[in-house]
Amino acid sequence: MDFKLDRRGLLLGGSALAAATAAGLRPAFAQDGRIRLLWWGSQPRADRTFEVISLFEGSHDGATVDGETVGWSDYWTRLATQVAGRNAPDVIQMDYRYIFEYARRGALAELEEFRDSTMPLEGFNDRTLEGGSADGHLYGVSLGANSAADICNMDAFEAAGIELPATFTYDDLREFGPDLAGAADIPYATADESGYETAFENWLRQRGKALYTDEGQLGFSQEDAQDWYELWAGLREDGICVPPDIQALDQRQVETNMLTLGHAAMAVAHTNQLVAYQSLNPATLEMRPLPLISPDATGGHYRKPSMFFSVAKGSENKELATTFINYFVTNPEAAKVLDVERGVPESPEMREVIEPMLDEAGQAAIAFIEDLGELAGPLPPPPPKGTGEIQTLMIRLGQEVGFGQRSISEGAEQLVSEASSILERA
Amino acid sequence: MSQPSDIMERPGPVPVVRPTLRARLTRRLGPTGAAYVFLFPWLAGFLVLTAGPALYSLYLSFTSYDLISSPSWIGLDNYMRIATDDPKFEASVKVTLTFVLLSVPLKLAFALAVALLLNRGLRGLTVYRAIFYLPSLLGTSVAIAVLWRQLFAGDGLINNLLAKFGIQGPSWISDPDTALYTLVILAIWQFGSPMIIFLAGLRQIPTDMYEAASIDGASKSRQFWRITLPLLTPVVFFNAVVQTIEAFKAFTSAFIISGGTGGPINSTLFYTLYLYQEAFGYFRMGYASALAWILLVIIAFFTAFSFLTARYWVHYDD
Repeated sequence: MDFKLDRRGLLLGGSALAAATAAGLRPAFAQDGRIRLLWWGSQPRADRTFEVISLFEGSHDGATVDGETVGWSDYWTRLATQVAGRNAPDVIQMDYRYIFEYARRGALAELEEFRDSTMPLEGFNDRTLEGGSADGHLYGVSLGANSAADICNMDAFEAAGIELPATFTYDDLREFGPDLAGAADIPYATADESGYETAFENWLRQRGKALYTDEGQLGFSQEDAQDWYELWAGLREDGICVPPDIQALDQRQVETNMLTLGHAAMAVAHTNQLVAYQSLNPATLEMRPLPLISPDATGGHYRKPSMFFSVAKGSENKELATTFINYFVTNPEAAKVLDVERGVPESPEMREVIEPMLDEAGQAAIAFIEDLGELAGPLPPPPPKGTGEIQTLMIRLGQEVGFGQRSISEGAEQLVSEASSILERA
Repeated sequence: MSQPSDIMERPGPVPVVRPTLRARLTRRLGPTGAAYVFLFPWLAGFLVLTAGPALYSLYLSFTSYDLISSPSWIGLDNYMRIATDDPKFEASVKVTLTFVLLSVPLKLAFALAVALLLNRGLRGLTVYRAIFYLPSLLGTSVAIAVLWRQLFAGDGLINNLLAKFGIQGPSWISDPDTALYTLVILAIWQFGSPMIIFLAGLRQIPTDMYEAASIDGASKSRQFWRITLPLLTPVVFFNAVVQTIEAFKAFTSAFIISGGTGGPINSTLFYTLYLYQEAFGYFRMGYASALAWILLVIIAFFTAFSFLTARYWVHYDD
């Protein structure tokens, strides 16, 4: 049996194809297709994100978004593996610590060109976009504003009979800490934050220093580090902060935080995380600025993008990816689902929609950022390459000093010398 | 060789004996050719999925490669740095050697003890065997590592038990002095596969030897040291080599239990975990590749050492 293609057959085939096209088998347009989205976060975030994905798919015919989520500690290895395997997700949730590392290594698409078409980002102001820009290009769209905050278990404060003021100093903490420890069956007043970069940065900024300078060098000295370790050694000695072997259980996730595990009544986190913390803690939680170094200290906090959505440079459907991002950060329907779980939305329209429907935790997050005032300073410069490694280094050295394997001065010396050599090598 | 092909080509009254696939291939390609055809699926997998990537990683070990931009040749720099300027390398080698030297002998001793117990002709042996083998199937899983974390945490089951005896235990899993030992216990607990092999080895020992020994008045322990153990040495040797290699490659338990950090204070920083951190945490795939090749050399050294010493203590029946 042989098969010959003659003119009539060709014509027939051609018209069949035309009919099929008319019947709905259209060639792919910008909004058609399939994209992948990868993010880190807790279960409540996953639920919200998947809900927005189905809203988006419902209003965009032919578009499919495959969502994938992992915890923070596995996220960066997962992402690096996928990027190296030329298999990066189209839309990538990014953190301030890593976005420029990825951008400068050429893994992220430049997004400014899409602002005329698929991603207008209505209502976003330039200051907001600055947080996701480097070297004149936009690499990430902010998913919400955020700030560091001390999350406090109010049940413990009540049981201890302590009135928690709007702001307090490290000296205050030293004073009320012993009374707070043990209240409401929570053995310690605060988590040990000596190895937590965010807490250290806040404290440094109050002293007029920074983690990194504009040139990407270390922004603090050995004396700064020494003072910091001494501060925490004192709190540890007085039984105010949790001992090192308990603190080491924390894997920097909401689920393993000292507050969630019931070991401490206070812990440093970020404003957007209050929603997640509240859902895992039966006690009433409130937020306060991080402890001050003196009653009139300023500028420790800053309003930062909680996280970004970026697009992989190798994405084959950047149009759909940017359409999705635009929907995610400006659509009022999406806002109702997302709440302030990823931070206070940057789009004024979104904020308007959610403000009346927020629960206490959500409203507190908005109010906290708006009321920071003098306590907030300017956004620090984009962190240099190698910051991820320095973050791990801080955890390790905090433990070495905490467990007494290194003296405070050795720990401080080690922090500066190892961090400098990491920056040099990166 | 011409005779059989005649038969094939002439249909008709002569009864056709269809040669087997192997016979036909052998005729066409010669004996080695046929062997290669049968080897092909494995060989293709080996070349493409194992040898290829391995050689590529050898190349990467001489480069600086951040996973995203293309690798650039830097010669021996990675190896120089590992040899002269890498405290974490030293720390991870120390942790890994401690783990190997503790977990392998203890695990083998435990496996042998259980195998001896099971070899007494118990009723329901297969059930016991399955039960004791179970941890080996589960042990490398993520869920068990998570469970281990719960067991050995400050307020975990172990400390609750100790508290009944008035002992206040530390948080085993997050204390740098004890964290590694919880991983050693986890490894020992997975004694199933060496146990099965020991059991098979014990079955090979002729019972008349024991009969003769008891007639001569040898005690049970004497029988063990003079008969069982010497005749079992080939199996001990095999188990020791396999388990040592396994122990060097241990990864999952430390990764899960320390949350990928190797902490607290690098106390569970297995070599493989350090390698993984360098590659995927800090974007240094070239450096990690160099580490991987050094691990290969270390394992090869230990294995060669076992084989060289084997003739002094392994007793073969000839």
